[in-house]
Amino acid sequence: MNQSPLVEMIDIEKHFGGVRAVEKVSIDLYPGEVVGVLGHNGAGKSCLMKILAGAMQPNGGEIRVGGRTIEFQEPNDARAVGIETIYQTLALADHLDAPANLFLGRELKTRFGNLDEPRMLEAARKVLARLNPNFTNLRDPVSSLSGGQRQVIAIARAIYFDTKILIMDEPTAALGPSETKMVADLTLKLRDEGLGILLVSHDMHDVFDLCDRVVVMNKGRVVGSHAIDEVTKDDVLSLIIKGELPADWSARNLLERAE
Amino acid sequence: MPEAWRITRIGGRAGLPDAQASFLYMQRLSAILTLFLLILGFSLASPHFLSVNNTLTVLLQTSVIGLLGIGLTMVIITGGIDLSVGSVLALSGVMSALAVRSGIPVVPAMSVGVLTGAACGGFNGIVITKLRIPPFVATLGMMLIARGLALQITGAAPISGLGRAFGQLGNGALFRITETQPNGFPTVIFPGIPYPAILLLIVAIGAAYLLRRRQIGRHIYATGSNEEAARLSGVRTDRTKLYAYTMSGALAGLSGNVLMSRLVTAQPSEGVMYELDAIAAAVIGGASLSGGVGTISGTMIGAFIIGILRNGLNMSGVSAFIQQIVIGFVVIGAVWIDQMRNRN
Ligand SMILES: Nc1ncnc2c1ncn2[C@@H]1O[C@H](COP(=O)(O)OP(=O)(O)O)[C@@H](O)[C@H]1O
Ligand SMILES: [Mg+2]
Repeated sequence: MNQSPLVEMIDIEKHFGGVRAVEKVSIDLYPGEVVGVLGHNGAGKSCLMKILAGAMQPNGGEIRVGGRTIEFQEPNDARAVGIETIYQTLALADHLDAPANLFLGRELKTRFGNLDEPRMLEAARKVLARLNPNFTNLRDPVSSLSGGQRQVIAIARAIYFDTKILIMDEPTAALGPSETKMVADLTLKLRDEGLGILLVSHDMHDVFDLCDRVVVMNKGRVVGSHAIDEVTKDDVLSLIIKGELPADWSARNLLERAE
Repeated sequence: MPEAWRITRIGGRAGLPDAQASFLYMQRLSAILTLFLLILGFSLASPHFLSVNNTLTVLLQTSVIGLLGIGLTMVIITGGIDLSVGSVLALSGVMSALAVRSGIPVVPAMSVGVLTGAACGGFNGIVITKLRIPPFVATLGMMLIARGLALQITGAAPISGLGRAFGQLGNGALFRITETQPNGFPTVIFPGIPYPAILLLIVAIGAAYLLRRRQIGRHIYATGSNEEAARLSGVRTDRTKLYAYTMSGALAGLSGNVLMSRLVTAQPSEGVMYELDAIAAAVIGGASLSGGVGTISGTMIGAFIIGILRNGLNMSGVSAFIQQIVIGFVVIGAVWIDQMRNRN
């Protein structure tokens, strides 16, 4: 991995009154890799993701994209440099339909500045069909769709535009087995296309299948950052729960390297 | 049933999902039915109800409620409320009148009123988005501020002597044909279409266009539907709300011009409680107080229902007190229907 990083987060901090949600967290992300972000509920994962997405402003630290320091004032600033996010809450407007949600905030317009509904509908039909061939009820309000369909819209919105960095905050939480498989395949495909992907997940199985590296957070701090082949599931669980690796880890790892 | 959905879609409800459109369609149908039943009932109760003169009166009353209702519809769709429009109407009318009295020609003078309204609305928007004061409280404050200003700068006295031109907007009509009798008095052969009704139609079409075809409209719906989701999606929700409140204020200013022009006098105490009629019109027309839902066409039907209800009760000799009671129940009923829909 001798390329330069897509994004560097350096000493990021976020406080809410006395709550230290994120404390001096640094994470790099390179093109063509999937980095798993793990940790208990409340560890600060979503806050960190929102900061990188421009949806939350940090109290301290620095974000570099392509080597250049950038301050995100709002989500559009992050999108402008190719950072797209699938939020844990999906962030869909319930009363609007799938095309309206897909293009929310960056609507396609006609020459006269009117909303170009036919073009948005057509584009939505295409991208949604690629993710889920059974997605036909495009004109229904998204509130009436299944959890899986809603998730598909949120995913489509994050990959439709010119994405370089994809943040996925628990993208399979609302999905059944076949849709989870679809997201996994998609993740690997996008990685192979050269995207950098941050995957927040609780599913150890997914993490070990998809990620090249794991970063574990505990109480707002990074307690471990490892290539996936130097840790076991038990090691990661220990990091999540106790905030440290098992005592025998370095010995085991040295042995493996020696072999 | 699917056929009915199709009809509403072809009717230009692009971007609004079909299932939601179907519910609105049912609600629309019942609102129109109510409107016809009211007209039928009142024309049986009073022979003068359908007279040309009374029809004009209804049109005038409805255009004021309708203009306010359009602004409120935008605000209500963002998930907010504007209780200040009745007072802003009065302040704006007074400002227009003062401008006329200071020698400014009528059209720019009336623009002063509209700008005053927009400024009040903009102030509401800033208080709500920057100071994070709930819309209910912020606009309640403006209700007092605008009314107080109107009374203070006029010394609570009406401003008259505004000249014929000032009365043109409220009393004139397009295609009116009059004939001078041998005795020197003019008689109206064809009453024409009152200017306020034309103004309402133009504003309604413009507002519907904004909400349906422009990005700002899409963002107004998104903000009311789920503000945090809209913000995360890149919608500038604060700016969107500011736009809606400013629009509501400007339209209150416009309706202030219509009303004061109708009276050819600026009354600082006019428009008390008009906000409730306008809110009722929007909610009867299908706007949801929890945000994300509402249409201009619905609000227009709602405005006619309220306008005809008030006028018809008047014509049938129902006292002003009873009228209040009836309208009060209508408002509660409309909001109750809205609640039922949300539970659906
Ligand atoms: N908007 C907020 N206001 C106040 N506290 C917050 C806010 N968002 C998150 N927190 C707090 O920050 C901490 C980290 O939350 P979060 O990033 O959502 O955790 P995770 O995604 O890892 O479960 C928690 O203690 C949470 O209560
Ligand atoms: Mg989270």
